[in-house]
Amino acid sequence: MNTSTATAAGNGGTTTPLRGKRILVAKPGLDGHDIGAKVVALALRNAGAEVIYTGLRKSPQQIARVAVDEGVDAVGLSILSGSHRELVRQVVECLRAEDAADIAVFVGGTVPQEDHADLAALGVRGIYTSDQPLAEVIAALAAALG
Amino acid sequence: MNDTLTRRELGRRLSRLADASVAEVLALAPAAPSTVPRIGLTGAPGVGKSSLAGRLGLLRAQARRVGMLAVDPSSPVSGGAILGDRIRLDELAGAENLYLRSIASRSSSDGLAENLPELLETLAAAGFDELVLETVGVGQAEHAVRSQVDTLALVLMPGSGDTVQAMKAGMMELADLYVINKCELPGAQQLAAEIQRVQALVGSHGGWAAPVVLTSIHDADTITDLSAAIDAHQAWLVDSGNREAVLEQRARYRLRLLLERRLGEVLDTVSPQALDGSLAEQFASVAAALPLDDGTP
Amino acid sequence: MSSPTPKPRLGTHTMAGLEVPLRAGPELVDPGRIGEPGAMPFTRGIFADGYQGRLWTIRQYSGFGTAEDTNARYRFLLEQGQTGLSVALDLPTQCGYDPVDPMARPEVGKVGVSLSNLAEMEILFDGIDLGAISTSFTINGTAAIIYAMYLATADKLGVPREKLTGTIQNDILKEYVARGTWIFPVRPSMRLIADSILFANQATPRFNPISIAGAHVRDAGATAIEEMAYTLANGLAYVDELERRGGDIAKFARRLSFFFYVHQDFFEEIAKFRAGRRLWAKLLSERYGVTDEKALMFRFGVVCGGSSLVAPQPLNNIVRVTVETMAAVFGGAQSIFTCAYDEAFQIPTETSAEIALRTQQILAYESGIGRSVDALGGSYVVEHLTNQMEDGIAAVMQEIDDYGGVEKAIEDGWLQMRIAERALERKQKVDRGDTVIVGQNFFARDDSERGVGETFQVDPNAAARVLEKYERIRDTRDAAAAERTLAALGRAAASDDENLMPYLVDCCHAYVTVGEMVERMKAQWGEFQEPVRL
Repeated sequence: MNTSTATAAGNGGTTTPLRGKRILVAKPGLDGHDIGAKVVALALRNAGAEVIYTGLRKSPQQIARVAVDEGVDAVGLSILSGSHRELVRQVVECLRAEDAADIAVFVGGTVPQEDHADLAALGVRGIYTSDQPLAEVIAALAAALG
Repeated sequence: MNDTLTRRELGRRLSRLADASVAEVLALAPAAPSTVPRIGLTGAPGVGKSSLAGRLGLLRAQARRVGMLAVDPSSPVSGGAILGDRIRLDELAGAENLYLRSIASRSSSDGLAENLPELLETLAAAGFDELVLETVGVGQAEHAVRSQVDTLALVLMPGSGDTVQAMKAGMMELADLYVINKCELPGAQQLAAEIQRVQALVGSHGGWAAPVVLTSIHDADTITDLSAAIDAHQAWLVDSGNREAVLEQRARYRLRLLLERRLGEVLDTVSPQALDGSLAEQFASVAAALPLDDGTP
Repeated sequence: MSSPTPKPRLGTHTMAGLEVPLRAGPELVDPGRIGEPGAMPFTRGIFADGYQGRLWTIRQYSGFGTAEDTNARYRFLLEQGQTGLSVALDLPTQCGYDPVDPMARPEVGKVGVSLSNLAEMEILFDGIDLGAISTSFTINGTAAIIYAMYLATADKLGVPREKLTGTIQNDILKEYVARGTWIFPVRPSMRLIADSILFANQATPRFNPISIAGAHVRDAGATAIEEMAYTLANGLAYVDELERRGGDIAKFARRLSFFFYVHQDFFEEIAKFRAGRRLWAKLLSERYGVTDEKALMFRFGVVCGGSSLVAPQPLNNIVRVTVETMAAVFGGAQSIFTCAYDEAFQIPTETSAEIALRTQQILAYESGIGRSVDALGGSYVVEHLTNQMEDGIAAVMQEIDDYGGVEKAIEDGWLQMRIAERALERKQKVDRGDTVIVGQNFFARDDSERGVGETFQVDPNAAARVLEKYERIRDTRDAAAAERTLAALGRAAASDDENLMPYLVDCCHAYVTVGEMVERMKAQWGEFQEPVRL
């Protein structure tokens, strides 16, 4: 998955490259570590995005429902419990069922390198980890969302 | 949901409208204004509006399809926003009948969200039986929200002494209901008494004496009380014939907002040459640019 | 990723912002504040003979997949010299869901062992003498249930309850703000905790029924000062609840223990532990009038690692854990858990778990740093920082008091918001290069490996086996007994006067499942509604 060193300057030097984008940050499943999700949500807001954070313990159905009703451009799933494959698959399926396969899905958390290809095959557009600088994550998102 | 828009399509339509130019609005927004009842909840940050609105929405969704719109402030620095900082009651009973959309205030002229009247009209046209609008009541926004709803509830909490001052400064005429949330905190009764005192001085508007309702999200009965007070006001509006005036004010405000936005669009793109010449010439130049060409965004 | 242009600097302040003097001298030390090891105010340690009297417990965290797999790993570690067992449970067990629940299904056996009913725990401890080994359970929302299950297991094995040693974490307050395995609202959760502590004081006097944790808020982003402050504040909240329930503080305070992370700032961590120990003793004696010295002793365990470990160049983490373990020893910890170097990105392999264990053994038996009690006591830097820490901690505790106390702060989402803001600050400091992470924002290599050695795989069939066993138990148990004990539990939960522990033990003996017990309590108490505030 893309972990390039694209800088914010690649977006025309703007400090709010996500202006006008609506992004859902979600915690699927039972994983209770929400600090990464919250930090990313705040950073996305600082980059100009309109962000909705779901809170903990949301089912894939709930996440898809909120994504659709809120008309978001992207869903960021934060998963640190190791269950990313099943949970991502379920969310993608629920989005498809709601006619929302065009909503971009991203994943953050603890995803080992060997699972990247499978997630990409499910349609995940980017996978991010906590050691990446926030500016890098934002630039990658902005590039992916156009 | 209604026959013409699926939930997904509704979501997309609302997103488009939130960003739409005046020309797009004229093309997309439902032409005929809706008459489904609208409830507004406004108040300062921190009074627990969101939790209250969520529970109220859920209660009313037991008996009808409720569309909720919640406005959160955009950051003046980044233009971004954290929206929907609220408890998601999605999985509770009746939630299928509840639709929640969160919008950012952005930099709209009236302190509310861009194209808010259009968003509300779209929701109404999508088949909801009732709309609930939740906004942060700061400054002009409180006045702006008045025309968008039939029943406006001002939410307060004990200990915020300055709200009563603000009320004296002009909010009294606007609210149909005073809600003292977090009523389990000390000072709730005193605040209720103070409101009633100020009301006595200022008098009621149009013959409706705005009641004070005490609520707590920990006590479901208080939410029922709030819902009943709303029902009472809705009934009064219809019976007293005042609803017509409300709808007319709304239509005027909607038009004014669109025209102001169109003016803004023109002024943003007007050429420097148009600003030469006398004031009358400048005025005429801008006025001439106002009409929309077919298909021009 | 290439390094940013700024060069790494030593810095002049600790990570929490305490100024570190360039040249510290005797003028910074206030001998009156220090005292002697094993005596009030316990700055230098709770035991006069330190580690000579009793070495810290070397405790490693394990548990994954099925009870059978975990049992095998435990026997391996016990053979290698580990002296206590630490049980990690999977998220469904922690959050009170049975493995069949759709929310639970993807998470069964992933981050720990699945223990949905007594039969699973019997397998877990097969061949292990519960009377001789100390067992620590990292369990919170369902702590009372797992403790009940442990008692039931001991009952069935004929081990007298008085012999049982170990810990249940059982610290719900930090769950709400930093770990997320809450179930019920705050008040009924506090009731359940008081039930378990008061019961344990009688039934299992050698068992620690609570381990009040600062580790998780630290991991989430709090500074060392805040970590200790939030923990002590939570501790006092539990003390208040126990007193309200008629508990004798001189008795229950002896069995309160604490649990922290150790991060990389060496002297800050040592000062944190010394200050916390001193402040706790002062608070209990001044605010609650406790005079029994045993009840004033601040006993704590630590985790070395956590969020201080990173994925790039993972072998560096061995060094980090070593430095942190040294800080724990100089800080006087009673038990130490060392993270494996690959903890940052997977469940540890046998190799990495072994190195983590050896780290402690080398420090204990080769380095000699534990020979004297509080060997760094009297050091100008350490005493100065200890004083600064104590003042800082007390100030944060005052802020919480001013807000209205921890329970209110949690219900309002105020503490959670503070932690999130702090976490963002911390991340921004790393991104800017103000905080150095070797191998990540400095001294990184584009070709840095992000993981070495064996990648540990959770058995994909584990979940299926767990479900199979679950169904079998549900089919073969005495259904009448299960229903009877559940009904009794429900009635007891509805009453304010009952201690739920005996009812939970009865349920366990009847092979009632964790999910069934939780549902019954949820029906009575409701579920915690998370205040989402950013």
